[in-house]
Amino acid sequence: MLENISATRMEQLQLRRRVELASRGHKLLSQKRDEISRQLVKIAGELKPLRQQVEKELLETTRRFMMARATMEPEDMAAAIDMPTKQFALTIQFASIMSVKVPDLTKDISGEIMCYGFSTTSGELDVALRALERAFDSLIELAEKEKQAMLLATELQSTRRRVNVLEHVVIPDIQETIKYITDKMSEAERDNTSRLMKIADIIRG
Amino acid sequence: MATVQQAVIDFHRYPPIGTDDWRYGFATGKIRCLETTMLSRATLLDLANAESFSAAMDLLSSTEYSAGGAVESFAQIEELLLQRRHELRTLFIALMQDPELVELLRARHDFANMRLAIRRVVTDRPIGLDYSDFGSVPAEEFEEAFEQENYSRFPMYLQEAIEEAVLAYYENKDIRSVDYAIDRCEAKYRIRTSEELGSVFLLSFYRVRIDLTNIRTLLRLKAAERDERDLFLPGGFVEIERLVHGLDLGYEGLAPLFFATPYYEVVEGGVAYFTTEQSFLRLERLCEEYLFGFLRTTRSITAGPQPIIAYLLLKENEIRMVRMLLSAKNNGMDAKLILDRLGE
Repeated sequence: MLENISATRMEQLQLRRRVELASRGHKLLSQKRDEISRQLVKIAGELKPLRQQVEKELLETTRRFMMARATMEPEDMAAAIDMPTKQFALTIQFASIMSVKVPDLTKDISGEIMCYGFSTTSGELDVALRALERAFDSLIELAEKEKQAMLLATELQSTRRRVNVLEHVVIPDIQETIKYITDKMSEAERDNTSRLMKIADIIRG
Repeated sequence: MATVQQAVIDFHRYPPIGTDDWRYGFATGKIRCLETTMLSRATLLDLANAESFSAAMDLLSSTEYSAGGAVESFAQIEELLLQRRHELRTLFIALMQDPELVELLRARHDFANMRLAIRRVVTDRPIGLDYSDFGSVPAEEFEEAFEQENYSRFPMYLQEAIEEAVLAYYENKDIRSVDYAIDRCEAKYRIRTSEELGSVFLLSFYRVRIDLTNIRTLLRLKAAERDERDLFLPGGFVEIERLVHGLDLGYEGLAPLFFATPYYEVVEGGVAYFTTEQSFLRLERLCEEYLFGFLRTTRSITAGPQPIIAYLLLKENEIRMVRMLLSAKNNGMDAKLILDRLGE
């Protein structure tokens, strides 16, 4: 029950308005929670195969790169990748899912990933770099989805906490206080009635 | 620079390697002894099939690649291998009697340094000091020469390479043009100098190398779906027209294209593996096997520079193989992949 409450009709009316508002908020937040959960389940469903794909692609890239690196002279490898010609820019825009701002990544890639000649480099380096180039798309999609999932999960946690507070603390407290005020006012009313009846008896007597 | 003439393929398996030179009697004897300490094929296969990195290191414990204790990081192995390579190159310089041959073989480091320096200069990046020490031009001279734009201290072949590379870059502002131009200059220089020195062995060796590089370039261009036809190096045994024609053919047409050349098996095996695995591992292995097969024909030379040069190149390859195997074991790579590169 709320503390420092004066049991007056005005307070009761205010509390009734508050409980009505809290109930409406509870309903809206419950709907938000359900929608975020739905979106989160959807993203989580896409995340697992995407992560597996990215891990597989990156493993393949690393394996090939390692093979190329091991079979080339260290100086040749350093010279080959010393000056990359591939330009990579990432634009971040924000989309809104249930008022949660989630990132929307757009890549802008230009230039050739193979930035070296053929005579001192291994063909496996070409394969590794092309595999890395292909992995970029999935990698960016994974980063976007994982960030979305993380933000939605944080929002879901706080929304669920708000819903629970409203459902189990705020609304019951206000309702209990309203009941208390109602009881208090009824008691005062009965007290007043009995006092008037007593005065009437004294006057008649 | 004079245009290099294409040679006619007048040999069956490997080109000629020249004759004996008795000034190299002691040096060849020493190399024959050192050859017995090289890792055998069986040892390399054992390394490839070793259970773990530590098991692989145990296998190397009685060789010159022993780390002499616990290996804390792979950088320690890298350092050890660089040290072995340094010792090998120092030994090579000490054993060679002809400074012209040494200069020709050291020129690859000059060209590699030049490639790096020009790429940095044209992209306005610091020239730096991280150059190979084994070239004829000291590494520290690069920074000063490029800052002052005074290239007269470089040998003529490097001055020509600088001019061609810078021109090639400014034609289309493509950093790869620097590499292509230097690769071409390097190939021309090697062939021209080998001819001038009258070294049959080096001439054959460089022509075979050019052919193998061109074959790899052909397949790499096809894999990257690029249609540049001027990237093949001049001076090999295989005509450039044949290689350019290969760009218009499908993968299945490549092996028949090389049927009349000694590289048929290299192309056939390499292309078959590439089409199934999308990897150049077997092509690179077959190219190496062909090249080292050629180098091993120097066993028929009793005394001469050929066995010493062959030892240098075979030993450098051994160091690369050890690096590859240990790196693969350290990173837990599949033995099948290692064997694909190493050969069964």
